[in-house]
Amino acid sequence: MARQQTKLWVPKRNKRRLESPSQKMLFTWLMLGGIIFLLAPQNLTSKFQFGFARIFQWPLSIGRNISLSAHMEPQLTDVVSRRKYDQLQNYLANVTEELNRERQKAEELSGLRNRHSLEGAGLMLAEVITASADGLVINRGQNDGLQKGQFVLGDNSVIGTISDISPRTSKIELVTETTSSTAVQIGELKTVLHGDGKDSAKVQLVSIKHKINIGDNVYACKKPGLLDATIIIGTVAQCSRSEENPLLWDITVKPACNIQALNDVAVIIMNPQK
Amino acid sequence: MRWLRFAVLISLVTVLQAGLTDIIAVSRLNIKPDLLLILMVFFAIHYSQPEAIIASFAVGFAADIIGSAMGTRIISFGLFGTLLAYLSGIISIKKMPYQSLAIFICGLLIGVTGHFLTLIKDQPTATNVYAVIFWTSAYSSLLGPFLFLPTAWWMRIKTHRHERH
Repeated sequence: MARQQTKLWVPKRNKRRLESPSQKMLFTWLMLGGIIFLLAPQNLTSKFQFGFARIFQWPLSIGRNISLSAHMEPQLTDVVSRRKYDQLQNYLANVTEELNRERQKAEELSGLRNRHSLEGAGLMLAEVITASADGLVINRGQNDGLQKGQFVLGDNSVIGTISDISPRTSKIELVTETTSSTAVQIGELKTVLHGDGKDSAKVQLVSIKHKINIGDNVYACKKPGLLDATIIIGTVAQCSRSEENPLLWDITVKPACNIQALNDVAVIIMNPQK
Repeated sequence: MRWLRFAVLISLVTVLQAGLTDIIAVSRLNIKPDLLLILMVFFAIHYSQPEAIIASFAVGFAADIIGSAMGTRIISFGLFGTLLAYLSGIISIKKMPYQSLAIFICGLLIGVTGHFLTLIKDQPTATNVYAVIFWTSAYSSLLGPFLFLPTAWWMRIKTHRHERH
């Protein structure tokens, strides 16, 4: 008897269906990677950003110089540039404020020797690698003695503090950023300056009984271990009654220098190790 | 996909975006084109879906490296790049007006998504963020299609054919 051959029906493989899961898996894995980066702490993920800034430091610096040159105004003879003028103006404001404070101290504490402001402090000069609304990245880091929280000067004025650091680069949180808050002094008033993310900063909750005028200098207050002198941070650009509470001032402070145009900055290192 | 050329291209465009686009920035808001967005749309349109997915996430990673918060643009670029790659398999996006529209819409979606993800991470965001997103997308959509040709030349593909690579 001949063997009967039975044919089993095997459905044809749908190649498209085989491809789709691999694309879905690819998308899923990559999305998972993105979520991991999103949820990872900033001090871990910033290593990638610092690494990029360090590897491409040279072309980024060249690009930045070209950008700044393209936006520079033509200079007239027999006058100084706007930047030089701002530097000198800020220096004058710092020296004047220091003189006033020294006079007050001399009156109160006559007979005692006073240390010169910023005596014992070091200034670490650094070049700006990248500049954006999120902050500046400079070419100095932990290996150069920098630490988080140190104040950064630009054109003799405080522009921010070091917020993130790697061995050879650092990120500066500008005073104009929304996450920034700095203790400041306007005349006799001590208050807090908050960045508003619009290249300026705000001072709020100030009673109208304090006399604040447009053009008044705003100084960063001393901070033990980080800042040993009052240094200018900006000027009052606008001072009006708050819309929410007419008994309070709404003060807008403009930085004392053009932060985005800075090529180099100085980090204040109190008591540097020799 | 020639991956070495892709890597060189992404590195170059990232450096240009971080260092040189300020020259062509306009207005008080400092609006500049998003070269990485243009690159992502190029790869989504001209390559097969798996390659486009990988390229979108890689471009998003490059965008995060020069941004503030890591992870936001990886997710937004990856998500909308994948969607665009899927869509370009159904609708042909080879003509310049369509490419401009694709860049503009992707720019808006990526910008808004990235903004919300940045808020989740409690990182500082740009001032007038929605105006910046809108005008950046518009600027990129005007410039983008013209940059497709040199990109196609570098990647050694022909853009006038409808076949996918």
